[in-house]
Amino acid sequence: MKIQLKDITMRFDHTTAVDHLNVTIEEGKLVSLLGPSGCGKSTTLYMLAGLYRPSEGELYFGERLVNKIEPENREIGMVFQNYALYPHLTVLKNIMFPLKMAKVPKKEAEARAKEMAALVQIDHLLDRKPSQLSGGQQQRVAIARALVKKPKLLLLDEPLSNLDARLRLEMREEIRRIQQEVGITTIFVTHDQEEAMSISDHVLLMKDGRMQQYSAPQDMYDYPKNKFVAQFLGNPPINIFPAKLSDDLQTIVLQDTRETLQLEAPISDPAAMNGDYELGIRPEDFYIETDSVKAGLKVETIRVERIGRDNLLNAKLGQINLRAIISPDVKINKGDMITLGIRPGRARLFDSSSGHNLLH
Amino acid sequence: MNDKPTLNKTLKAVLYLLPALVIIVTFSIYPIVKSFFMSFYTDYDYFKDLVYARGLDNYKVIFEDPEFWKSLGNTLLFVVGVVPLSIIISLVIATLLNQKIKFRGLFRTIYFLPFVTSVVAVSIVWRWIFHSQYGVLNYFLGLFGISPINWLTDPTWAMPSLVILAIWKGLGYNIIIFLAGLQNINQQYYLAAKIDGAGAWERFKNITVPLLSPTTFFISIVSIINSFKVFDEVYALFGGQPGPAGSAETIVYYIYNKFYGEWDFGVASAAAYVLFLVIFIFTLIQLYFGKKVNY
Amino acid sequence: MQKEALSKGFIYLLLILGSILMLLPFVWMISTSLKLPNEVMIMPPKWIPSDIQWSNYIEAWFSAPFAIYSVNSVIVLISSTIGELITTILAAYAFSRINFYGRELIFSVLLGTMMVPGEVLLIPNFVTLSNLGWIDHYQALIVPWLASIFSIFLLRQFFFSIPKELSFAAKIDGCSDFRFLWSVMVPLAKPALITIAILKAIGSWNAFLWPLIVTSSEEMRTLPVGLISFSTDAGTRYELLMAASSMIILPMIILFIVLQKYIIEGVARAGIKG
Repeated sequence: MKIQLKDITMRFDHTTAVDHLNVTIEEGKLVSLLGPSGCGKSTTLYMLAGLYRPSEGELYFGERLVNKIEPENREIGMVFQNYALYPHLTVLKNIMFPLKMAKVPKKEAEARAKEMAALVQIDHLLDRKPSQLSGGQQQRVAIARALVKKPKLLLLDEPLSNLDARLRLEMREEIRRIQQEVGITTIFVTHDQEEAMSISDHVLLMKDGRMQQYSAPQDMYDYPKNKFVAQFLGNPPINIFPAKLSDDLQTIVLQDTRETLQLEAPISDPAAMNGDYELGIRPEDFYIETDSVKAGLKVETIRVERIGRDNLLNAKLGQINLRAIISPDVKINKGDMITLGIRPGRARLFDSSSGHNLLH
Repeated sequence: MNDKPTLNKTLKAVLYLLPALVIIVTFSIYPIVKSFFMSFYTDYDYFKDLVYARGLDNYKVIFEDPEFWKSLGNTLLFVVGVVPLSIIISLVIATLLNQKIKFRGLFRTIYFLPFVTSVVAVSIVWRWIFHSQYGVLNYFLGLFGISPINWLTDPTWAMPSLVILAIWKGLGYNIIIFLAGLQNINQQYYLAAKIDGAGAWERFKNITVPLLSPTTFFISIVSIINSFKVFDEVYALFGGQPGPAGSAETIVYYIYNKFYGEWDFGVASAAAYVLFLVIFIFTLIQLYFGKKVNY
Repeated sequence: MQKEALSKGFIYLLLILGSILMLLPFVWMISTSLKLPNEVMIMPPKWIPSDIQWSNYIEAWFSAPFAIYSVNSVIVLISSTIGELITTILAAYAFSRINFYGRELIFSVLLGTMMVPGEVLLIPNFVTLSNLGWIDHYQALIVPWLASIFSIFLLRQFFFSIPKELSFAAKIDGCSDFRFLWSVMVPLAKPALITIAILKAIGSWNAFLWPLIVTSSEEMRTLPVGLISFSTDAGTRYELLMAASSMIILPMIILFIVLQKYIIEGVARAGIKG
């Protein structure tokens, strides 16, 4: 089912939790709603579920305007952060519950519940109570319960946040597998960028109730629309340097050290010349420049940490600390002055006041 | 969050609340108001629900009635007799039960038993225990060379009998509340005190008593309020009479007698409101200090 | 170590002595209830009857209409307990899950009402019931007790502890509010409901002043009221009086022993009802 949000706005007493959100979600896709806490992602999900009524805007499921449709009539399934399993019912009864409410004959309900349980691989636990299950198993039950009515839309509200790190990895792959097997349009709320990046077809990044960017995860990473997006994605985070643009609209001058950097092409907007800018470079886009003729940033090494297969370099450029991921082959010691080159096309330039990315 | 009161929800809530509210309004809230007005009815025909005269006479009557003052005095005596003793005994027992001992559950059950029994029935049992000639109490006292006491027929002993019965009956309730309070005290205080070399008595005095004071305060107020309302015990212990020569007439008995014995609804209502006032003052004390005395 | 053992011994000694004092009245009651009449009034008292007289119970049972009293007590207990549970569940749901106008105000008024001693309500309620023509009918014994603010308060607290997501999940599963209340909230609140039911049952079974006032005929009396009138008739037949008392006391003691967990928890948690 295709989902459309048109100017969706949600106001609580004094705050606007969601502000004119316009998104179209294509059928069969898994979309993550990502953002820091309080950004409106859960509110958006609750509006999709029908648990909240939007203050403004229109919500379409397929061709149907659903603003006033009750949750049970929206053909949705939902998984909650704490799973919200009925503690007094067995696993089987929990999964059958939505069917019972829909007055599906008991035999058929049981068969469908068992089929679902098999899909999420908990068919050996049917007689247990939720309290006798591990977090991951409860999660699976919750997913089975959400899917048993064969909904057209699956909503997941931070489903992995109560799990430990290893289970989280396993469950997110499971969610992806189940989603693809069923082919259901899925919306997944999370505050974990890595989670969103790894399982989604599209990511909708929000901040303060507003959409920041809606695109495929890799696009979002590579072509962030603004500084917030660039900073929110990536670990270690992107390095930011205050900068100016020289008259040719192509040379960036770092404010602190006066070092310069050539862009591949000049900025198209000539009015941009006099503004304040910020140069953003991801840690992995640096490399150590050994050719002294070539341009680069001269930095002083503070510390080198070995993390897994890479080395993380902590260094100082003038007064600004930066981080770079470098090859472990090069031996660098504390205090060494080195030159960092920037991979072609990997510099980002943000307008200081609006945060817009000027290059993409 | 999104959950604001709306007309719709209010209508729905009314449906859910209706059964309970109908009962509560009719039998709890309306009578509070009605009772207040009734206390000013000086000439009243309850069969026809007609009021011929209103005034302060009812209050005048009770305040000039020596029996009223006596019943109030008796009630106070009962409160003073029951509350401190009951609290001390139950605190000691609760402290003992809070130690690492076996059969704690069994002991707790035994001490709590009287609380679930019918006041009327156990009062009749106690009537037999207090029997001056063949009662077991006098028999035990006789073993210590004490000559038989006319517990229920001697005006001096009627009130002590009532106090004994009330303490026995209410002990379990206080013990349970004290135990709950004791379990809320962090064990680390005791460990720390032990390391500091404090003995059992000092730990009790310097940790248990002060840290338990909110609980003690709560129990005191509840006991006082409940003791002010004592009636069933009086009625059953003395066979429908307020003790020999009215020596155990309590305020509720007075109300009952004015109401059901003399059919003087106005005076009974006035007396009931005086009782309410007394209890209200104690409730206010609890609400006021209950928030302050807290660790 | 030795000192500790000594103090442990002392603790047990005190507790056992106390227990004996608590139990003695019951032992004395049962012992007397099983005695031959000529063994009742003797000094020194005899603790173990020489010949156990179960027939005392039968004689007591038939000396007064205890069958009627018991039926009345049971009817009043069952109907007022069930009724109170229903009104309490509905009201507690509204107070914990529906946000309506005046919710806090109404709830505070109810809590305030709890402070008023029942004795104040006695007379107007008597008048109300007379006007309704309910005096000396079951309605008078039951209807005023079909709702309890204390129980609503207790259950509301319990309902608050049930996560909100559960009701969201149920909503999405297509479960109406009313159905959710009965098929999810109520089963989950079973411990609290049992506590409420037992406290109610005990209170109803033992109630005295109210049934004394609103009943006049023998056919409507409950056990405690019936026992009082029997106590004047029985005179010095203490073995019969004790047998009758046992019949009232023992059912509640058994109920308590079976379900004591709920009673003690309820009393400890709320600690309000006296």
